[in-house]
Amino acid sequence: MTETLETFISRARTWLATGLPSRRDSPVDDVALQNTIYDAGFAGIAFPKEYGGAGLTLEHHAAFYQAADELGRQLPTKYWVSIGMVAPLLLEWASDQIKREFLPRILRGDIVVIQLLSEPRGGSALAGVSTRLTLAGEHYQLSGQKMWSTNAHLADYGLCLARSNWDVPKHQGLAMILVPLKHVDGVRVSRTRLADGSLGDVCEEFFDGLRIPASNLVGAEGDGWAVARALMAHERNQTAGVGYGYLGGADTRVMVVDRSEFAADLMATARARATLAAHGQTLADVYVDSLVTSLTSARIMRGQMVGTHDGNWGSAGKLLGSEDGHRAARAHLETLGADGVVWDGDTIENENAGTAWLLARTSTIGGGTSEIQRNIISERLLGLPREPSFDRDVPFSQVRSSAAKP
Amino acid sequence: MQLEPTDEQIALREAVRRFAEAETPLETVRSLYEHREGFCREWWREAARLGWTSLFIPEAQGGGTVSGRPASDAVIVSEEIGRLVSPGPFLPVNIVAATIARAGSDEQIASLLPGLAEGETFAAWAFAESGDRWSPRDFETTISVSGTEVTISGEKTYVEAAGVANHILVTGRGGGGLSQVLVPADAQGLRVVTGRSIDMTRRYARVILDRVRLPATALIGAPGSAQHDVEAQLQLALALQCSEMIGVAERVFETTIEYGRERFAFGRPIVSFQALKHRIADMALWIEGAKAVGEELTHAVDREAAEASTLASVAKVHIGRRCLDIVDDCVQITGGLGVTWEQDIHLYNRRAAVNRAMFGSPEFHRHRLLGLICPEAPSAETQEGAAP
Repeated sequence: MTETLETFISRARTWLATGLPSRRDSPVDDVALQNTIYDAGFAGIAFPKEYGGAGLTLEHHAAFYQAADELGRQLPTKYWVSIGMVAPLLLEWASDQIKREFLPRILRGDIVVIQLLSEPRGGSALAGVSTRLTLAGEHYQLSGQKMWSTNAHLADYGLCLARSNWDVPKHQGLAMILVPLKHVDGVRVSRTRLADGSLGDVCEEFFDGLRIPASNLVGAEGDGWAVARALMAHERNQTAGVGYGYLGGADTRVMVVDRSEFAADLMATARARATLAAHGQTLADVYVDSLVTSLTSARIMRGQMVGTHDGNWGSAGKLLGSEDGHRAARAHLETLGADGVVWDGDTIENENAGTAWLLARTSTIGGGTSEIQRNIISERLLGLPREPSFDRDVPFSQVRSSAAKP
Repeated sequence: MQLEPTDEQIALREAVRRFAEAETPLETVRSLYEHREGFCREWWREAARLGWTSLFIPEAQGGGTVSGRPASDAVIVSEEIGRLVSPGPFLPVNIVAATIARAGSDEQIASLLPGLAEGETFAAWAFAESGDRWSPRDFETTISVSGTEVTISGEKTYVEAAGVANHILVTGRGGGGLSQVLVPADAQGLRVVTGRSIDMTRRYARVILDRVRLPATALIGAPGSAQHDVEAQLQLALALQCSEMIGVAERVFETTIEYGRERFAFGRPIVSFQALKHRIADMALWIEGAKAVGEELTHAVDREAAEASTLASVAKVHIGRRCLDIVDDCVQITGGLGVTWEQDIHLYNRRAAVNRAMFGSPEFHRHRLLGLICPEAPSAETQEGAAP
């Protein structure tokens, strides 16, 4: 019989009061925090006990996070994907063997699983991935390349969307599989060097005949697209604050950075450079757009709480916030003129408006391009018809793509 | 943080919408194009009975709010006015009523507000001056007090409803700052040159004040001390105007999408083309942003919050610009029909363009924002100048 919410909350609060460090204490490492939570029986609250969970419900889970928040406790945030998205996905789609082998370690924070979805030749059209998965006896072999995988260099496993059948339409030939990323041959993970010369937290993974136990398949061959959609549903739930993982706050896609202070600083800079007459109207727009975006995101978050705005409104925050970021970076470049791109001295400096602008498109591309967000807004929010597509019912091997297929 | 509408406010919105749909459908708006005053006085008395004129007036003078937050009530009415481009001097009557209620003498409150509340009398606000001057710093109209008399000289332009107004609230310089005075329509030396606008029903006038002499009791507040009232009037005018533009933009947006679903080209509805869908997605977010900033402004106006000045300009920049972007692009999506007299969209474009210009364009308000957010370091010459 399930523990009542009331009893659970009281038990959780008692433990939280001493079990986890306060936010006022010096910060504790995420792994240590998650280990502690697991060992006290509060990890994976809505997961079955046989897989390392507490055997309770999502209501209990949400209540735990609410209590932790009220008591000002430190909580780990780095398992957003691993526990918040991958773990519940495995619960729904994976074999009993995988669940027993992986879930307890994932829930304890001992291993981290990331997503391996985007590829160099396509990110927005996810169902068109061309990483090749081939069955060879008891093992699969994986060849190809993934890209833009966040924190792959720190991860133990990746949940990889690959193509196992090239002779059926694109959505039908996909498989999802758990891929080891550490201590194996046939995989190389490298952090992507970005246009400003820095190493980001995004990675490329090169697979060259990586051997994976056939039992690592999540769902059946051919289920890959359905599994990927389920994964995205967990992402939406996480961001909407009703997920299985860290519930530290509101929809991160809706939440935006307020750049109005930055715009005000640019105005002061332009005034000091006696160029406000030239840049004033643009800078006022940067200010206005930033403030309006902040207010819009607050309105949407409130709407999600009272039920007037559904989860697809997350795209609005993503689109507005990222476009504002680009506009602000560009206004910065323009306001500083020659002094934003040229400096004295022989050393390479990255702390300037020009170099910052080189990466200003990152956020309008990553996490779903602005164009994809506009598709979501027009199709899912406004209910406008989809574009016809030319690859829906055609065997994937006959679909035109950006480069010749292997 | 805004407040959700109260049940009474929801009922107010429904009542205004029903009234507008029944009394001034778009055919009526079209027919009022030929009407000299742009609306029928009997209809205005009916609107007044529904509360259009009473929101800023105390109960003792026949007024009353719906929620206790008059601006947030009034923007509901003006948004609905925008949705059907309804006629009537809603903005000037309420601005002047609010000013009298806030800063007027007991005598002014008792003698003027009941008539406005009942819809029997009208008021206009003579603010801007010719050459698109909306900053009081640039005004030339003078209001000088001498003994028990006040003399007003100057010329005001773009004055909505001055042709029907029984009282004209004039903003001018005097007493070492800004002063305001209520000029009766029959005052000696006052000349109202009525005019028109591109809007179907909204009438404007030039107000010429040739040494108009009135008893000093016609002043609103003390001479030279109207700065605060004028700013409050401007904020309220912008809140009402912006909410009206939200109504305009949202109605045109909805109508255009409906049209685009039924209109086929190359075998598909035209709104299935990405070239249109992406523009429509942007419009949806502009409207959401307009509501967000509009609500924030309205709330700040009701609280008389310090940030209302900045918010008023931010709202005008965003909404003035995006409302025009939306109706302008919706004409494009509607295609050739969009530039015909028969199609209703031009009724909305007319209102949008007039609202964009009145009380300062987005360009004006960007400039005003620069002064509010990042003021010039005071120097000998500029120290006297107040914020624009």
